[in-house]
Amino acid sequence: MKKTISFFIAILLAGNLPAQTKVNSYTFGALEARWLGPGTMSGRITAITGVVNDNKTLYVGTAGGGIWKSTNAGASFKPIFDKYCMSIGALAIDQTKPEVIFAGTGESNMRNTVSIGDGMYKSTDAGDNWVKVGMDSTEHIAKIIIDPKNPGTIYAAAPGPLWRDSKHRGVYKSTDGGDTWTNIFYINEKTGCADIAVDLTDPNIVYATMWEFRRLPYTFNSGGKNSGMYKSLDGGKTWRELKNGLPEKPFGRIALTLAPGSPKNMIAIVESKETGLYISSDGGETWKSQSATTNVVSRPFYFSCLVIDPKEPKRVYRPGFGFSYSDDGGYSFTDASYDGGWVHSDHHALWINPNYTNQMYLGTDGGVYFSLDRGVTWMFVYNLPVGQFYHVACDNNTPYRMYGGLQDNGSWVAPSAAPGGVTNSSWQDMFGGDGFWVQPDLTDNNIAYAESQGGNMGRIDLTTFKSTDITPKAGKNDEKLRWNWNTPIVTGQANHHNLYTAAQYLYKTTDQGRNWQKISPDLTTNDKKKQQQEESGGLSEDNTSAENHCTIFTVAESPLDENLIWAGTDDGNLQVVTDGGKSWNNVSKNYEAAGIPAQTWVSSIEPSKFDRNTVYATFDNHMYGDMNTYLAKSTDLGKSWTRLKSDEFTGFAHKIKEDPINKNLLFLGTERGMFASIDGGNSWFRMKNHIPDYCMVRDIAIQPQTNDLVIATHGRGIMVINDISPIRSLSKEVVNNEVVLFDSKPLPITTGKYGGGGSPVSGGWSGGNPDDIQPIEYYMKDRPTKDVKMEIYDAAGKLVQSIPGSKRKGINKVYWNQRMTPPKTASGGTKMDISGFVAPLVMPGTYTVKLLVGDKVYINKLVLVHDNDNKLFSEDDRKTQYTAALQLYHLHEELAALVDKINAEQRMIKDNQDSVKRPQTKKLLKDYNVKLEELRNTLLASKHKSIFADEKKLRENITDDYVAICSQECKPTNLQLDIIQILNDDIKKAEQAYDKLYADYGDKTKQTVKEDKSKKVTEPRNSN
Amino acid sequence: MKQLKISILAIAMLFVGAITTIAQTADEIVQKHVTAMGGMDAWKKVNSLTMTAVMSANGAEIPINMTIVTGKGLKVDYTFSGMTGWSIITDKEGWVFTPFAGQTKPEAMPEESVKQSQDQLDAQGPLIDYQAKGIKLTFLGKDEVEGSECFKLKAVYKSGKEETIYIDATNYYHIRSVTKIKAEGKEMEVTSNMGNFQKLPEGIVYPMSMDNGNGPMTIKTVVVNKQIPEDFFKPKM
Repeated sequence: MKKTISFFIAILLAGNLPAQTKVNSYTFGALEARWLGPGTMSGRITAITGVVNDNKTLYVGTAGGGIWKSTNAGASFKPIFDKYCMSIGALAIDQTKPEVIFAGTGESNMRNTVSIGDGMYKSTDAGDNWVKVGMDSTEHIAKIIIDPKNPGTIYAAAPGPLWRDSKHRGVYKSTDGGDTWTNIFYINEKTGCADIAVDLTDPNIVYATMWEFRRLPYTFNSGGKNSGMYKSLDGGKTWRELKNGLPEKPFGRIALTLAPGSPKNMIAIVESKETGLYISSDGGETWKSQSATTNVVSRPFYFSCLVIDPKEPKRVYRPGFGFSYSDDGGYSFTDASYDGGWVHSDHHALWINPNYTNQMYLGTDGGVYFSLDRGVTWMFVYNLPVGQFYHVACDNNTPYRMYGGLQDNGSWVAPSAAPGGVTNSSWQDMFGGDGFWVQPDLTDNNIAYAESQGGNMGRIDLTTFKSTDITPKAGKNDEKLRWNWNTPIVTGQANHHNLYTAAQYLYKTTDQGRNWQKISPDLTTNDKKKQQQEESGGLSEDNTSAENHCTIFTVAESPLDENLIWAGTDDGNLQVVTDGGKSWNNVSKNYEAAGIPAQTWVSSIEPSKFDRNTVYATFDNHMYGDMNTYLAKSTDLGKSWTRLKSDEFTGFAHKIKEDPINKNLLFLGTERGMFASIDGGNSWFRMKNHIPDYCMVRDIAIQPQTNDLVIATHGRGIMVINDISPIRSLSKEVVNNEVVLFDSKPLPITTGKYGGGGSPVSGGWSGGNPDDIQPIEYYMKDRPTKDVKMEIYDAAGKLVQSIPGSKRKGINKVYWNQRMTPPKTASGGTKMDISGFVAPLVMPGTYTVKLLVGDKVYINKLVLVHDNDNKLFSEDDRKTQYTAALQLYHLHEELAALVDKINAEQRMIKDNQDSVKRPQTKKLLKDYNVKLEELRNTLLASKHKSIFADEKKLRENITDDYVAICSQECKPTNLQLDIIQILNDDIKKAEQAYDKLYADYGDKTKQTVKEDKSKKVTEPRNSN
Repeated sequence: MKQLKISILAIAMLFVGAITTIAQTADEIVQKHVTAMGGMDAWKKVNSLTMTAVMSANGAEIPINMTIVTGKGLKVDYTFSGMTGWSIITDKEGWVFTPFAGQTKPEAMPEESVKQSQDQLDAQGPLIDYQAKGIKLTFLGKDEVEGSECFKLKAVYKSGKEETIYIDATNYYHIRSVTKIKAEGKEMEVTSNMGNFQKLPEGIVYPMSMDNGNGPMTIKTVVVNKQIPEDFFKPKM
């Protein structure tokens, strides 16, 4: 008993023990990711809705980038759902109270790469805050309809889980404004609800289309006897199937819509053996088949959007593979024009402004378009960075280039930094189709390799962007090659001349794809039951290589040994070879022993850079309905595995990356988040470094020269965390200190790598640039309540600059611009002078950094060196520049002192002008003031009062030279140097002029004023 | 056995404690915040604040003067290169003067902006006596600000202005506000961070550093209830 009591006391006390500070999501929060986007190829859009009465507030739901809101009709957007699930299926606004919004998570365009939702969310403040309100396990929500007459009543269509049987599907209803939800129409564990429609003139009339569907890793089935169209007359209590005039069952997915103003008029696209368009004019009781174009009826599982104009019942829109519209109620359709530019194919969402039905927004696989002429022509919205990358790679250029392929948006390359920042126009399209792996040739700066779906790959000349087909072909005795949707193309890590690709066999080339060598037998299970892709699709055959199976999915060459190669397949094999490709060893049973299911996709393999026997791998079993995060490590070439687990993990795993410098630093990307470990995988934290909490992270690269962490997200484009060195160097000992001012490596003195004209980016998306200057970094265990300041001192102990510090918990960054404190400049005049914000760059040397946190001081040294990368700026040039800048700095201060004297005299005059009595005294003051003003007008621009005026006096002339010399990184020109003497002479002349003026007036005026006030003066002296 | 029951009870109490924490209301958080800031009594006496401050920019310091009189006016002026610009908001009108861009006389602020700014004419800030000021507060749960756990409150002012307030969960200081400004068809969000909390002789605690995105501002002096002349908030050149 005593033991038990002690145990409980121990538990009680445990809560009060001083806890060790843990590294967590926030420790490195200051290392914020840059969102590179771009917006030039956006991503799949799944839902669009707008506030009816303001004509400008829009919400856009995406397949993998969360929800974006615009309050200016699409001129700009901001993400509003970054703490929640990134996959959005449906959005709805309570138009009677437009601050109430619902977001159904889990896209319902059931393609192979569709993500998973986690329920219904509600916001009551226009998207600022969200609460999950139910439907947690439905995984996919297709539509939400709010009863406009009674907004407490809401219906939702949930197709339900794609990869497994589930009871969490069907029609859901809320009668309390969306706070709770009940399943009101359920058929079975395989059949969910694909679409709903509500007769808004009688909201008890509800239509639902039920859909039987299922995906497996190797096949898709849309259709079954349980699919059908249903109608309820009592708000969903009872349902009756509608059949009259519809084709023979089985059905697949049915898209259904009714005319808002004339709700008995309905249109449906019914997937069946002969998928067709059906029209009803009696509320669905009878249907008539209508001939339709291929675009109207194609790919019904993927194109489920059908909309009738809010005002004109005959105007029907069919966003599908392309955009079609009808003016006769659906009897005939025509396609949109491309006069506004090409419109990306594959459409999933359409919102028409009911107040002005010419204005509409279209969601496609490549982003949002808007039309102002009822969908006839479309213009692209360039500011949504929601691209769905599969992979990313970097080269070793300066700046390095980022390469990646995107879902339905080809393969692209862009520099990581550019004059004016990395904008949409920085990105170059390099290969078509769906894009996946893109590999730069690290031995040839002008070559990269890219592919489209199903293993079509090319070698691309980066000088011309012309490509050459290098796809390996089947040999005489080979089976038909099976290429994964996302076929690996991988450069060797030990030998960069090696390039690998794989179908069921592994291929290697050492001459840029001109000659390939098959270096493996079939490494998959070669299960013929999983190779019936020609049958895939269900009622509508759909075989786009997306279901290709029994393929090699991931390949990795050890960075330590080019003969040590790993290959993982989509059907669970994990194979390793140590002799370059002769004797392969399947270690899949060994990872199964660690608790990872058999036949799991091996999604990534990371052979260690520190030990050839060590390897990490991720496994993805979601296609069998298992969403767990599987990550494992082996230290004996795969003979035994240890599963690395964490309560932090969410989402099935895509990518494990080992840091090339710190072997204990690991990064993990999953379908629902980015994670890091600084202790070799024992403990993990979610990375929230300006990365959405549940971001879909598909690939991770670390650029070796810049130490940048480059992340391929499947819905938020490319993200880059610049220089992860602080994560590498933070030890457990450091985090227990209150404050640590880190050592800095010697920093080159620079104004940054890039210039640019300075024009702001007009529209589109900009990912900016890395920091121009390196920050000084410190760690704080807790946020201080007192002041934080950084002071920089030179070698002589003189304060160079004082900078306010940031106060965040964890790593902090302070940017010292490597300059002195700006000069005191002459005050007054009518023109703003910018020299007061500009200071000379300091000289190379050792500086002292003092970090003041409250009353505590932390001191470290900082070494600044000349920027040897700048070949146009020698150390001697720097000395000349510094000397010149300092001379001008002093001229400014001399001038400021002179103007201060003038000001003081004029203040004295002003103070006395009204109080002196004698006219002679008044005149003397006035005359003195006029003379001073005349002098001032030679020193400061004082006439014009407009920023467009170009008046220049001595101060402005000094500024011209000073700012030019301070802002550039080169030796000043001969004339820039010559003018310093001229300006110096001008100052001297001005000082002499003042001295003379003062000699003539100063003391005399003061004496006269004094006498005037004391009434001792009998006769004024001659004032001139 | 009795001892065991006590231990279990103690553990149960811990859980109850945890539940109580979760169920904390906006009012309880504000009460603790007000105590941390010097207490209601001290703050209720505050009718005006006169502050001098400097804003840092590229190593330069821009002097700023701020005066706020509850219900009457708010004036902020800033001097650079001998030129002084300012903005004034009173209970009836608003004025802006920015000579740096060539402006030669003050310009009146649009009526809607003046209306939206009325809530700022409060030297005590929104959380002192918020109910009496007609401010509706909602507790939105816990969130984090730059790594610090915070209580997140949404304040809706009488004018309709919305402000999200973050109270540091360890010391109950108000460390961040995100204010949504809707005026003239535009919608803007301004984030202000507060720090360096100092107790003033009057007993109130005041954040001596602020940053609303224009550059860090260090408050040098705060004078409480200084007599402000009647014509102080008139647009004078």
